[in-house]
Amino acid sequence: MEIKDRKINDITVVGFAGSIDSLTAQQISAHMDGLIAGGASKIVADFSQVDYTSSAGLRVVLLAAKAARGNGGDLFLAGVQKQVEKVLSLTGFTSIIKLFPDVDSAISNF
Amino acid sequence: MANTVEITCAAEPEALGIFRTFIEDECSRFGIPEEVVFDLKLAVDEVCSNVVMHGYKGMPPGSIILALQFWPDRVTVQITDFGQVFSPDQTPAPDLDGPLEDRRAGGLGWHLIFQTMDSVAYEHSGAGNVLTLQKKLD
Repeated sequence: MEIKDRKINDITVVGFAGSIDSLTAQQISAHMDGLIAGGASKIVADFSQVDYTSSAGLRVVLLAAKAARGNGGDLFLAGVQKQVEKVLSLTGFTSIIKLFPDVDSAISNF
Repeated sequence: MANTVEITCAAEPEALGIFRTFIEDECSRFGIPEEVVFDLKLAVDEVCSNVVMHGYKGMPPGSIILALQFWPDRVTVQITDFGQVFSPDQTPAPDLDGPLEDRRAGGLGWHLIFQTMDSVAYEHSGAGNVLTLQKKLD
Protein backbone atom coordinates (compact mmCIF):
# COMPACT_ATOMS: atom_id res chain seq x y z
CA MET A 1 0.00 0.00 0.00
CA GLU A 2 1.40 3.38 -1.04
CA ILE A 3 0.22 6.46 0.87
CA LYS A 4 0.91 10.03 -0.21
CA ASP A 5 -0.15 13.20 1.64
CA ARG A 6 -0.43 16.72 0.33
CA LYS A 7 -1.90 19.89 1.81
CA ILE A 8 -4.06 22.33 -0.08
CA ASN A 9 -4.69 25.28 2.22
CA ASP A 10 -6.28 23.72 5.31
CA ILE A 11 -7.31 20.53 3.52
CA THR A 12 -5.29 17.33 3.74
CA VAL A 13 -5.45 15.10 0.67
CA VAL A 14 -4.35 11.54 1.32
CA GLY A 15 -3.82 9.36 -1.71
CA PHE A 16 -3.84 5.58 -1.41
CA ALA A 17 -2.68 3.11 -4.05
CA GLY A 18 -3.29 -0.63 -3.88
CA SER A 19 -5.66 -3.04 -2.18
CA ILE A 20 -7.07 -2.60 1.32
CA ASP A 21 -7.41 -5.73 3.43
CA SER A 22 -6.88 -6.56 7.11
CA LEU A 23 -3.11 -6.31 6.64
CA THR A 24 -2.87 -3.02 4.71
CA ALA A 25 -5.72 -1.46 6.73
CA GLN A 26 -3.42 -1.46 9.76
CA GLN A 27 -0.94 0.72 7.86
CA ILE A 28 -3.70 3.10 6.76
CA SER A 29 -5.17 3.21 10.26
CA ALA A 30 -1.81 4.19 11.80
CA HIS A 31 -1.35 6.85 9.12
CA MET A 32 -4.80 8.34 9.64
CA ASP A 33 -4.35 8.31 13.43
CA GLY A 34 -1.17 10.35 12.94
CA LEU A 35 -2.93 12.90 10.72
CA ILE A 36 -5.84 13.29 13.13
CA ALA A 37 -3.51 13.57 16.13
CA GLY A 38 -1.65 16.28 14.20
CA GLY A 39 -4.89 18.25 14.01
CA ALA A 40 -6.10 17.42 10.49
CA SER A 41 -9.85 17.92 10.26
CA LYS A 42 -10.70 18.46 6.59
CA ILE A 43 -9.56 15.30 4.87
CA VAL A 44 -10.00 14.09 1.30
CA ALA A 45 -9.15 10.42 0.87
CA ASP A 46 -8.18 9.92 -2.77
CA PHE A 47 -9.33 6.39 -3.61
CA SER A 48 -8.76 6.64 -7.37
CA GLN A 49 -5.86 4.14 -7.15
CA VAL A 50 -7.61 1.77 -4.72
CA ASP A 51 -8.74 -1.28 -6.69
CA TYR A 52 -10.11 -3.30 -3.78
CA THR A 53 -11.32 -3.00 -0.22
CA SER A 54 -12.69 -5.44 2.31
CA SER A 55 -14.62 -4.48 5.44
CA ALA A 56 -11.24 -3.73 7.04
CA GLY A 57 -11.01 -0.64 4.81
CA LEU A 58 -14.54 0.41 5.76
CA ARG A 59 -13.60 0.25 9.42
CA VAL A 60 -10.64 2.60 8.86
CA VAL A 61 -12.77 5.04 6.83
CA LEU A 62 -15.49 5.01 9.49
CA LEU A 63 -13.09 5.68 12.37
CA ALA A 64 -11.19 8.38 10.44
CA ALA A 65 -14.43 10.13 9.43
CA LYS A 66 -15.66 10.11 13.04
CA ALA A 67 -12.32 11.54 14.21
CA ALA A 68 -12.27 14.21 11.46
CA ARG A 69 -15.76 15.32 12.49
CA GLY A 70 -14.61 15.25 16.11
CA ASN A 71 -11.90 17.74 15.05
CA GLY A 72 -14.62 19.96 13.53
CA GLY A 73 -14.15 18.85 9.90
CA ASP A 74 -15.10 15.86 7.78
CA LEU A 75 -13.68 13.15 5.56
CA PHE A 76 -14.68 12.92 1.90
CA LEU A 77 -13.86 10.10 -0.49
CA ALA A 78 -12.74 11.00 -4.01
CA GLY A 79 -12.46 8.98 -7.21
CA VAL A 80 -13.86 5.75 -5.79
CA GLN A 81 -13.70 2.92 -8.34
CA LYS A 82 -16.90 1.09 -9.29
CA GLN A 83 -16.25 -2.17 -7.41
CA VAL A 84 -15.10 -0.37 -4.27
CA GLU A 85 -18.20 1.82 -4.44
CA LYS A 86 -20.27 -1.36 -4.50
CA VAL A 87 -18.72 -2.41 -1.16
CA LEU A 88 -19.51 1.03 0.28
CA SER A 89 -23.05 0.86 -1.04
CA LEU A 90 -23.77 -2.69 0.23
CA THR A 91 -22.81 -1.61 3.74
CA GLY A 92 -24.75 1.65 3.79
CA PHE A 93 -21.59 3.77 3.77
CA THR A 94 -22.71 5.89 0.82
CA SER A 95 -25.36 7.44 3.09
CA ILE A 96 -22.88 8.54 5.78
CA ILE A 97 -19.72 9.40 3.81
CA LYS A 98 -19.74 11.87 0.92
CA LEU A 99 -18.30 10.61 -2.35
CA PHE A 100 -16.96 12.87 -5.10
CA PRO A 101 -15.82 11.96 -8.60
CA ASP A 102 -12.39 13.51 -8.10
CA VAL A 103 -10.19 15.32 -5.58
CA ASP A 104 -10.90 18.79 -6.97
CA SER A 105 -14.66 18.48 -6.55
CA ALA A 106 -14.20 17.11 -3.01
CA ILE A 107 -11.96 20.05 -2.10
CA SER A 108 -14.41 22.59 -3.47
CA ASN A 109 -17.16 21.14 -1.25
CA PHE A 110 -15.37 21.96 2.00
CA MET B 1 -17.77 -32.01 -14.65
CA ALA B 2 -15.99 -29.40 -12.55
CA ASN B 3 -12.38 -28.25 -12.41
CA THR B 4 -10.97 -27.94 -8.92
CA VAL B 5 -7.92 -25.94 -7.84
CA GLU B 6 -6.59 -25.64 -4.32
CA ILE B 7 -4.06 -23.61 -2.33
CA THR B 8 -2.96 -23.92 1.32
CA CYS B 9 -1.45 -21.05 3.32
CA ALA B 10 -0.48 -20.48 6.94
CA ALA B 11 -3.19 -18.43 8.69
CA GLU B 12 -1.16 -15.20 8.59
CA PRO B 13 -2.29 -11.76 7.34
CA GLU B 14 -0.01 -12.16 4.29
CA ALA B 15 -2.20 -15.08 3.16
CA LEU B 16 -5.03 -12.68 2.30
CA GLY B 17 -3.19 -11.14 -0.66
CA ILE B 18 -1.93 -14.56 -1.78
CA PHE B 19 -5.52 -15.90 -1.85
CA ARG B 20 -6.79 -12.89 -3.83
CA THR B 21 -4.05 -13.30 -6.44
CA PHE B 22 -4.81 -17.04 -6.63
CA ILE B 23 -8.50 -16.33 -7.22
CA GLU B 24 -7.69 -13.73 -9.89
CA ASP B 25 -5.30 -16.05 -11.72
CA GLU B 26 -7.55 -19.13 -11.65
CA CYS B 27 -10.71 -17.20 -12.54
CA SER B 28 -8.89 -15.65 -15.48
CA ARG B 29 -8.03 -19.16 -16.76
CA PHE B 30 -11.70 -20.11 -16.64
CA GLY B 31 -13.00 -16.84 -18.12
CA ILE B 32 -14.97 -15.76 -15.04
CA PRO B 33 -16.45 -12.23 -15.36
CA GLU B 34 -14.64 -9.43 -13.50
CA GLU B 35 -17.60 -8.63 -11.21
CA VAL B 36 -17.86 -12.24 -10.09
CA VAL B 37 -14.11 -12.36 -9.46
CA PHE B 38 -14.37 -9.26 -7.25
CA ASP B 39 -17.21 -10.80 -5.22
CA LEU B 40 -15.27 -14.05 -4.78
CA LYS B 41 -12.15 -12.19 -3.65
CA LEU B 42 -14.20 -10.13 -1.19
CA ALA B 43 -16.06 -13.09 0.34
CA VAL B 44 -12.91 -15.22 0.66
CA ASP B 45 -11.01 -12.26 2.13
CA GLU B 46 -13.69 -11.69 4.77
CA VAL B 47 -13.84 -15.35 5.77
CA CYS B 48 -10.06 -15.74 5.88
CA SER B 49 -9.56 -12.44 7.77
CA ASN B 50 -11.76 -13.89 10.52
CA VAL B 51 -9.73 -17.09 10.59
CA VAL B 52 -6.44 -15.16 10.64
CA MET B 53 -7.58 -12.77 13.39
CA HIS B 54 -9.64 -15.10 15.59
CA GLY B 55 -9.64 -18.68 14.30
CA TYR B 56 -6.46 -19.91 15.92
CA LYS B 57 -6.67 -17.83 19.09
CA GLY B 58 -5.31 -19.76 22.06
CA MET B 59 -3.85 -22.54 19.94
CA PRO B 60 -0.83 -23.00 17.67
CA PRO B 61 -1.34 -21.19 14.34
CA GLY B 62 -2.56 -23.52 11.62
CA SER B 63 -3.42 -23.37 7.98
CA ILE B 64 -6.25 -22.33 5.69
CA ILE B 65 -7.11 -24.40 2.63
CA LEU B 66 -8.89 -22.60 -0.20
CA ALA B 67 -10.45 -24.72 -2.93
CA LEU B 68 -12.22 -23.32 -5.98
CA GLN B 69 -14.47 -25.48 -8.09
CA PHE B 70 -15.45 -24.21 -11.53
CA TRP B 71 -18.79 -25.51 -12.85
CA PRO B 72 -20.42 -24.37 -16.10
CA ASP B 73 -23.06 -22.41 -14.16
CA ARG B 74 -21.35 -21.55 -10.87
CA VAL B 75 -18.17 -21.29 -8.85
CA THR B 76 -18.02 -23.15 -5.54
CA VAL B 77 -15.55 -22.04 -2.89
CA GLN B 78 -14.54 -24.20 0.03
CA ILE B 79 -12.51 -22.72 2.89
CA THR B 80 -11.19 -25.13 5.51
CA ASP B 81 -9.44 -24.32 8.77
CA PHE B 82 -8.65 -26.27 11.91
CA GLY B 83 -9.14 -23.55 14.50
CA GLN B 84 -11.98 -22.53 16.80
CA VAL B 85 -15.45 -23.72 15.91
CA PHE B 86 -17.43 -20.79 14.60
CA SER B 87 -20.82 -20.35 13.04
CA PRO B 88 -21.83 -17.40 10.84
CA ASP B 89 -25.18 -17.41 12.70
CA GLN B 90 -23.38 -16.06 15.77
CA THR B 91 -22.58 -12.72 14.15
CA PRO B 92 -24.77 -9.74 15.06
CA ALA B 93 -26.53 -7.92 12.22
CA PRO B 94 -24.75 -4.66 11.37
CA ASP B 95 -26.38 -1.24 11.54
CA LEU B 96 -26.69 -0.05 7.94
CA ASP B 97 -29.01 2.93 8.40
CA GLY B 98 -27.94 4.98 11.41
CA PRO B 99 -25.97 8.23 11.35
CA LEU B 100 -22.18 8.03 11.15
CA GLU B 101 -21.74 8.74 14.85
CA ASP B 102 -23.74 5.63 15.80
CA ARG B 103 -22.24 3.23 13.29
CA ARG B 104 -20.04 0.37 14.37
CA ALA B 105 -17.69 -1.42 12.03
CA GLY B 106 -18.44 -4.88 13.43
CA GLY B 107 -20.44 -7.45 11.51
CA LEU B 108 -19.86 -5.86 8.11
CA GLY B 109 -17.69 -8.74 6.90
CA TRP B 110 -20.37 -11.40 7.21
CA HIS B 111 -22.94 -8.99 5.81
CA LEU B 112 -20.77 -8.59 2.69
CA ILE B 113 -20.36 -12.37 2.37
CA PHE B 114 -24.14 -12.93 2.51
CA GLN B 115 -24.76 -10.04 0.08
CA THR B 116 -22.28 -11.18 -2.57
CA MET B 117 -22.68 -14.97 -2.45
CA ASP B 118 -25.71 -17.02 -3.52
CA SER B 119 -25.32 -19.54 -0.72
CA VAL B 120 -23.27 -19.92 2.45
CA ALA B 121 -23.00 -23.22 4.33
CA TYR B 122 -20.92 -24.07 7.36
CA GLU B 123 -19.93 -27.48 8.62
CA HIS B 124 -17.73 -28.57 11.48
CA SER B 125 -16.35 -32.07 11.74
CA GLY B 126 -13.19 -33.93 12.68
CA ALA B 127 -11.86 -32.75 9.31
CA GLY B 128 -12.00 -29.10 10.41
CA ASN B 129 -14.30 -26.13 9.87
CA VAL B 130 -15.52 -26.03 6.30
CA LEU B 131 -17.30 -23.02 4.89
CA THR B 132 -18.80 -23.52 1.44
CA LEU B 133 -19.79 -20.53 -0.69
CA GLN B 134 -21.54 -20.62 -4.03
CA LYS B 135 -21.63 -17.93 -6.68
CA LYS B 136 -23.85 -18.41 -9.72
CA LEU B 137 -22.71 -17.41 -13.18
CA ASP B 138 -25.34 -15.64 -15.28
